[in-house]
Amino acid sequence: MNEPTFLILTALAGEPRHGYAVIEDVEGMTSGRVRLRAGTLYAALDRLRGEGLIEVDREEVVQSRLRRYYRLTGAGEQSLAAETVRLREQATIAEGRLRARRADFGGAPA
Amino acid sequence: MTEIRYRRLLAFYPRDFRREYGDEMLGVLMADKRPGPAQVVDVMRGAVAAHLRGLWTGESRAARVVWIFGTMLLFAVALRRVVGGLYALARHPEFFGPPVDVLSWTRLAAWGVALAAAFMGWRVLGAAGAAAGLTGEILAPLRSYVETPATLLYAYWLIVAAALVLVAGLIADRGVARPRHWQWVVAAGALLALQGVFAPPSRNGSYDLQWMLVLVAVVLAAVAIFRQEPRLRARLLCWAAPVIATVPVVEFGFGQFIVYNMGHPESTRMINPFQWALLVLVPVAVFVGASLLDRRGRVTAGA
Repeated sequence: MNEPTFLILTALAGEPRHGYAVIEDVEGMTSGRVRLRAGTLYAALDRLRGEGLIEVDREEVVQSRLRRYYRLTGAGEQSLAAETVRLREQATIAEGRLRARRADFGGAPA
Repeated sequence: MTEIRYRRLLAFYPRDFRREYGDEMLGVLMADKRPGPAQVVDVMRGAVAAHLRGLWTGESRAARVVWIFGTMLLFAVALRRVVGGLYALARHPEFFGPPVDVLSWTRLAAWGVALAAAFMGWRVLGAAGAAAGLTGEILAPLRSYVETPATLLYAYWLIVAAALVLVAGLIADRGVARPRHWQWVVAAGALLALQGVFAPPSRNGSYDLQWMLVLVAVVLAAVAIFRQEPRLRARLLCWAAPVIATVPVVEFGFGQFIVYNMGHPESTRMINPFQWALLVLVPVAVFVGASLLDRRGRVTAGA
């Protein structure tokens, strides 16, 4: 799972959101490091819908323009949970090795 | 950027994608605080990806059906050679030497492995089996190519079918799910395999019966395809098109070549580089052409 996909699923795990709200939430989560653009976002949303990881929650019309809210499905929740476990395991390994490395160098960064 | 310019950008997306997300995307693009070249590049990249995804959608599912149906039929053809040879030996031991050569047994084993792997959804083993089967299908006519170049043309459909099955296996859906109506292909395969018993190539002129059995087997396989859902059926026909196209290619492209060689055994003509290119490129062109027609039909139907 690539980072934008992980972040989109994380954004939708909180609550159903429309496209622009997903962009803003991802930007907030990553402190502005990742700011999705429309092309990337909708390519990912279309793929995730196709894979059954997200679905349409509701639609509304705002300023005569369609606004569609997406939510995580059960499969999406499982997929996000699995990816979260994987990332946590990798992060734990990285932390352990960095700790050992610092210990080898007497507490100073190498 | 103005709304009109954004709409022009969105026109690069496939029609069905635009219909589904166009309005939403327009809203997001208009709200983007950083319009500029990067935004345009992102939209264009998304449009290209959507087109590629549209081409790919359903292909892996169709490929899985091609993989299973194809290996079933190729295994049946390989089995027919062995069964026919053994049956002929049993009936006329005085007329035949070794009834089944090593290459026939090898092809049977290769397609057997490919068939088992296809049903189990094991891609690597399936690819190995299909690659070995394809190699066998090429080597068999090549043994007599110098004396009779036409043997390669007679085996052309089999080589194309084997190549398609190999490709299909590489991109097929994973899993062990069997395609619907596979029993029709089993019936077709059984008929092909038993063809060697019912109508062995012999001196009694039973070729008419042979072709009749082949025709019935083709009809049974066609039933399996035509009973699939419309979308899958269209893709299966695209995959079958290169094999079907081998018939007119050999008939009209090489008819004179075969007739000349039959009449002039003393100065046999070989397949020239242009003809080799034709044999390689036609199946590819037919597949691409059929896929484009299928896609155009889908877009038109969805308009």
